[in-house]
Amino acid sequence: MSVKAFELVLAVERELLMGDKPRINIECIECCGKNIYIGTNDCFLHHFLLEEKSSSKGNPAFAAQKQLQRHLGLKKPVNELKAASALNRLIVLCDNTIMVVNMLNLEPVPSGAKIKGVVTFTVNENPVNGDPFCVEIGVISVKKRTIQIYMVYEDRVQIVKELSTPEQPSAIGLDGYFLCLALTTQYIILNYNTGASQDLFPYDSEERKPIVKRIGREEFLLAAPGGLGMFATAAGISQRAPVRWSENVIGAAVCFPYVVALDEGFITVHSMLDQQLKQTLSFRDGHILQDFEGKVVLTTTKAVYVLVPLPLERQIQDLLASHRVEEALVLAEGARRNIPKDKFQVMYRRILQQAGFIQFGRLQFSEAKEHFRKGHLDVRELISLYPLLLPTTSTFTRSHPPLHEFADLNHLTQGDQKKILKCKRFLISYLSEIRSTEVANGYRDDVDTALLKLYAEANHESLLDLLVSENACVLMDSVPWLEKHKKFFALGLLYHYNGQDDAAVQLWMQIVNGELHDDTRADLYEYIVDFLTFSSKQDLIWKYADWALQKNEKVGVQIFTKRPEDEEKKGKLNPDNVIKYLHKYSQAIILYLEHLVFEKNIQKEKFHSHLAALYLDRVLQLHSQSETPSEELSSSRTKLQNLLQKSNLYRVQLLLGKIKDTDLKFECAILYGKLEEYDKALHILVHQLKDFQAAERYCLWASEDKDPSYRQRLFHMLLALYMDPSISNDALVMAAVDLLNRHAEVFDAVRVLRLVPESWSVQLLCPFLSGAIRESMHSKRMSQVALGLARSENIIHKHEKMKSKGGPIFLSEKKGCQLCHNTFSEPEFVFHPSGIPIHTHCAAKRNRESPSRRQYPNVNNHT
Amino acid sequence: AKMKKPDVKLVILGDMNVGKTSLLHRYIERKFKDTISTVGGAFFLKQWGPYNISIWDTAGREQFHGLGSMYCRGAAAVILTYDVTNWQSLVELEQRFLSLTDTANSDCIFAIVGNKADLTNLKAAAAETGEERESNGNLAGAQFPASPKMHKQVQPEDAVALYHRILRYKMLEEKCSPPAEAMCFETSAKTGYNVDLLFERVFDMVVPGILKKKTEAMSNTVDLEDCSDMQRTKLGCCG
Repeated sequence: MSVKAFELVLAVERELLMGDKPRINIECIECCGKNIYIGTNDCFLHHFLLEEKSSSKGNPAFAAQKQLQRHLGLKKPVNELKAASALNRLIVLCDNTIMVVNMLNLEPVPSGAKIKGVVTFTVNENPVNGDPFCVEIGVISVKKRTIQIYMVYEDRVQIVKELSTPEQPSAIGLDGYFLCLALTTQYIILNYNTGASQDLFPYDSEERKPIVKRIGREEFLLAAPGGLGMFATAAGISQRAPVRWSENVIGAAVCFPYVVALDEGFITVHSMLDQQLKQTLSFRDGHILQDFEGKVVLTTTKAVYVLVPLPLERQIQDLLASHRVEEALVLAEGARRNIPKDKFQVMYRRILQQAGFIQFGRLQFSEAKEHFRKGHLDVRELISLYPLLLPTTSTFTRSHPPLHEFADLNHLTQGDQKKILKCKRFLISYLSEIRSTEVANGYRDDVDTALLKLYAEANHESLLDLLVSENACVLMDSVPWLEKHKKFFALGLLYHYNGQDDAAVQLWMQIVNGELHDDTRADLYEYIVDFLTFSSKQDLIWKYADWALQKNEKVGVQIFTKRPEDEEKKGKLNPDNVIKYLHKYSQAIILYLEHLVFEKNIQKEKFHSHLAALYLDRVLQLHSQSETPSEELSSSRTKLQNLLQKSNLYRVQLLLGKIKDTDLKFECAILYGKLEEYDKALHILVHQLKDFQAAERYCLWASEDKDPSYRQRLFHMLLALYMDPSISNDALVMAAVDLLNRHAEVFDAVRVLRLVPESWSVQLLCPFLSGAIRESMHSKRMSQVALGLARSENIIHKHEKMKSKGGPIFLSEKKGCQLCHNTFSEPEFVFHPSGIPIHTHCAAKRNRESPSRRQYPNVNNHT
Repeated sequence: AKMKKPDVKLVILGDMNVGKTSLLHRYIERKFKDTISTVGGAFFLKQWGPYNISIWDTAGREQFHGLGSMYCRGAAAVILTYDVTNWQSLVELEQRFLSLTDTANSDCIFAIVGNKADLTNLKAAAAETGEERESNGNLAGAQFPASPKMHKQVQPEDAVALYHRILRYKMLEEKCSPPAEAMCFETSAKTGYNVDLLFERVFDMVVPGILKKKTEAMSNTVDLEDCSDMQRTKLGCCG
């Protein structure tokens, strides 16, 4: 599980530091820009300049240049070094004393500022005090259980705070007001401003050296029991999962996204993103590991090394090259903050695409799809893996450098047909998903054509859906492919979509005729008829209608009879032309005329007569063919009779002429009926057909929607026929009795009774008689009711009239005229609109006096 | 270094080998696989509706016990896990782990979970889908038991009793806390029995806390609009 995240490069070699003196060891180190300061156990300070340069192979290398070395005047080792570059000072701990020296000449500051009694110290890199000309340091004092905070200025130091701790501290970190301390038995966070303390977790500092390493704002990295590297915030919580070190870690540093740790034999690199160990470098006699401004520096006791991080992109590419997709993505994701947004986006998308192809290669399709989607993959990259899918017109070339290592699908699957099939199924689902999204924008031609090819090859049912809906399949490329896979029906759809209906129908015709084989649709013939029915191209219809009709007249004629309703707008077929055209198809023409007459309800004599004549011909033809009545014949006759009865438009005389001499008596009767020659009609029915029921029905039909006397006349006519004294037989008599009894209410009873022979019993005519009486009673009562109703209506009207006239006016000698106040002596008066009577002369006078103010314009005379 | 900041923290505690990592793995990855003893701790971010919930999987080993209270600091929910076939694992919860939760939020929610229910409960064993059984077949014997394989040592009542003692220990009102029946579970990370139920119920219970925290944060913000309104009315009074 290794990544090459860092490269270990020698920076300062032993020769430069101590030559071959064996007892001299490096004690501490500080880096500041290109400056490296090294403290040794013989109380020397060394200053180097470090230039980074690349070797001939492009590997990083350093050249150190010795600047200066100075003895600090003691016999103790230099324990710790910190640069305060803003002050141009180095803070040096030696012999429990902090002294401040000039960064350039390494001379102690003239003021001789010192802090005595220091075990160890740390610089606050996130001080609350914002003064740029001082450095805040936290110090573990030699005094028992004491921490001190100092300000270090250019040439003086100042104590800010002294705190006591519950146990002896041994390591210190500082950020803001927060001290992170390793005590004897535990780590704590101590706020030096408020004094509040927060336990972190137990740790035996005497058993193992504690590590407190500030790694960012208010966050520390701590050595924890069991060889863990624990993260803790100033609030005392852990926001990242711990990393697992060895038990004997000497130092640790963070170089995002990695935690680097040093033990006796190795440098370990863990990712903070997934806590996994990513790299292990062998490093013997390791002594110090520290990071300075993002640069990780290590030393043995004799030499200095730099751990140079490899560019993130290269790390990611290495991971991808070894197919470690998840790790690569985590690493890329983690780098988001450290890379400019637009640059990151380009890089990240490419990584996602590469990741997708790796997963695709493993046939992990759902993961691959997700990455293709997130990475905004040009879908043609994927299509181009499949041989022959991209149309020849496509301008696509694969991106360079390539996103994957595959030449094509055969290479990827090593020819495994099962795998190829799986890949194809995936592409089908992927393309069908994205084809209507913006992913396909700009190259819909390529996508749809590829999809068409896949569908055709896989015998996929969605092929037809694709072709009947909006699509961008390239015709030139698709035609040979569909032909190759014998998808002729689909090809027809494609022709149709591209406006080549003629080619489409031609092709389908060939399938129906058996010249081509494609069993996509068993009902292709009906489909073609339907297609022509809904086609608005007249020339196409005329061209193929013959073929359709020859195949099957009944179905073929639908081209004309089932045309869409909204055709009117686009210019419809002229029925006369159609009729002329259909002349040679005896069945079709009848169906078409039926369509016009019954469905379209076209009221034109021409069509009705034509249809009637055709019906008649048909009946006559069938009639002549066989003596015994067939079902076909009877149904044809019913149709004919139906038309003759229902329609009033056909030319009766013409048909009558044809029918008269045949034995289509009933039809003949209907025609006579149409001419109102009922006696002839009834004669046929009664005497020739002897069908009394039909005669009765005939009377009812013929008098439909006519007034009752018309019906009465017909029934009397029929009765007269039955009772014709010249031809008397029992059947007719019985028919007459039945007729009377059944339709008593229709007849004029008085006239009937005169006709009825004396010999008939009352019993025989009982139903008729009671019916007739009932009818006459009924009509009498109905007229009484009507009379009553009319009277009451009259009264209502009278009442209304009275009401609008007003009540009576009483006039007597005692009443006076309101104008002259004299009494009335004559019966004449004028009725004032306000309801009072006045003298006629008073009214006239008043009108004369004030002609302009005629107050009573409507004077009514009441008497 | 995760991009999303967690809104709320949930901690799984319990003795080693009770199946804390497996429970979490089953919930997140929908799979059961052999896990190695957790070192230190691990955490996952779970998107729950609009919220990010961080779930800490702690190490049960004694060695890492000291880290527990730090993990629990600020936790909104603690899942105390034991092994239904191991009485001691329940005892340890009270003796060793309960005190770690002192650093959790004062309104922290507790769930008590008896894992490995598949070993004693036929229903829990049968929860496994056919497909999973096939893939897990070589891990733990393809036949699922006709009778429970192991003796059950912890009864649900024991867990309920512990739950009540925890409430007393935390000085939480019974009335104000979720009822014991809702917070004591028997699960099987191996078959997935009750695992989703457990996590989802706990998630649902911590959401009101997130909302409360958010509205509190909102009310601390000064609303300039409101302020100007107030001023205007004051002026009206004086003028």
